[in-house]
Amino acid sequence: MPDSRTLRLQRAMASLVLDEDEAALEADPGRVARRQGLSWADQCSFREQGAGMMTYRELARMSLVEPLETMFPVLKALLVEADTWNACIQAFLEARVVKSGHYRDIAPAFLGWLAASGWGQDRWPFLLELAHAEMLEVVVARFPDSDPPMGLHADPGPEDLLVLDAATQIVSYSHAVHRVTEAAPFPEARPTHLMAFRTEGGEARLMELTPATAALLVRAQTGPLGEVASSLNLPDLGPIFTLLRDFYRKGAIAGFQTSS
Amino acid sequence: MTQDRFTGVGLGLRRAHLEPVSQMEGHGVPFWETCPENVVGDGGRHHRLACAILDRDPVLTHGLTLSVGGFDPWDEAYIRDLGRFLLRTGTPWHSEHLCFTGVDANCLHELLPLPFTREAVRHTVSRVRELQAQLPVPLLLENITYYAELGASDMEEADFIAAVLEGANVGWLLDVNNVYVNALNFGFDPREWLARMPLDRVAQLHIAGHQAFGELTVDTHGAEVIDPVVELMQWTLARLGRPVPVLLERDNHIPDFDVLLAERARLQLAYEATMTLVEAHHA
Repeated sequence: MPDSRTLRLQRAMASLVLDEDEAALEADPGRVARRQGLSWADQCSFREQGAGMMTYRELARMSLVEPLETMFPVLKALLVEADTWNACIQAFLEARVVKSGHYRDIAPAFLGWLAASGWGQDRWPFLLELAHAEMLEVVVARFPDSDPPMGLHADPGPEDLLVLDAATQIVSYSHAVHRVTEAAPFPEARPTHLMAFRTEGGEARLMELTPATAALLVRAQTGPLGEVASSLNLPDLGPIFTLLRDFYRKGAIAGFQTSS
Repeated sequence: MTQDRFTGVGLGLRRAHLEPVSQMEGHGVPFWETCPENVVGDGGRHHRLACAILDRDPVLTHGLTLSVGGFDPWDEAYIRDLGRFLLRTGTPWHSEHLCFTGVDANCLHELLPLPFTREAVRHTVSRVRELQAQLPVPLLLENITYYAELGASDMEEADFIAAVLEGANVGWLLDVNNVYVNALNFGFDPREWLARMPLDRVAQLHIAGHQAFGELTVDTHGAEVIDPVVELMQWTLARLGRPVPVLLERDNHIPDFDVLLAERARLQLAYEATMTLVEAHHA
């Protein structure tokens, strides 16, 4: 069955909002209706109401781009400086990857597109890490609340596994992307390990970790603490347990469970 | 009746005001309106504040992205979560916009106009009935501002809205500012427009500020409500002859909470003055 006229009109509107060539659209807004095989009357309607139709382009693009400007100020500063921000946004919009009706999902969709497309990463190898780091604290701050698993205890032991809080994220970058600013958006190239977590009051915090601590926090989720520490050449468990108790008090670790 | 809790002028619950509202029980706001998309599936400090307020105070719910006139399959998981959220808030109804917001599984995050055609009426009525069947409370549809008609029309906007409301047998969230803005942009008399509409279906009003950009006026929700729109609200309430709740929307250039409370109080006085006249007329 051929697509209905209503659907083709909606596709024409989406094309008007997302397609690249603004000058051509301004010259002839009817082209999007023509491409959908719509009637001459529908093409005329787009053409005769050009100003109103272009208002939709402006409003919808503003809705889609504002959350990116808010979430990625450093990335934007970098790309504006290189005169490529608009090209990046256009490539993102044309990829049509915003599927969710939740406004808060627009920025993650951008990050996913950046990862999948590799856009700009030949020129700026740190671009994906930068975007990820800019979003990290917000994702952690807004992570859906959930109850911790049952049967956890507060004091770690050598045979225990550690259980991170559901919102906590351990990330490793090859650049110090958490140090950049809009004025200085180029990160130093050095291995960087971070823990983003949420306090009991619901505020996000970022903490830089040593490589050994980052490895311990990742690997001790699936292997006993004593064994993992030993494999990392950390024979003295006393300071490790002190550190883990501190992370527990801060809210980054949900608790410890006996490995079976 | 549950609806008796909802009279006067309420406010949209916005992130910028969660902190003061959560700490202030005697705020005088008779009810809040919340957007489920901003609450369902969220977490963290602001989410907890929002939930505490929604559990404490009367709430109406107003959605943004269900795309009632669209073609994409319903997001069944979200609609299930939405249903649970509606029951939790105790809202007597849930409202969505009479528009489409996405196509071919791409969300455009804008309230886009439907064609004013018989085909679009049939399609939208069918979709609205499907949606209503999945919700635990009655559905209202809101009239939107539009800046261009989508394709060649075979009816006027008023006839399109009336046909969908009647065909789907749902209530109307009447946005008087949207009527006013459309009247400015398309050159008609908003009172004449309203007089031909099925006002018996109105369960709630929206009111907001707008802004002119050259020859076009845009429903920005970013400025104070101007007197002619307040007068249109009063005219509509008098015409209805019953106290439906009015919601003041403010989504851009959001002022401090006390400034918004002062604007709400101004609208509440206008609301009460009209209802006094309505009661005197009925006495």
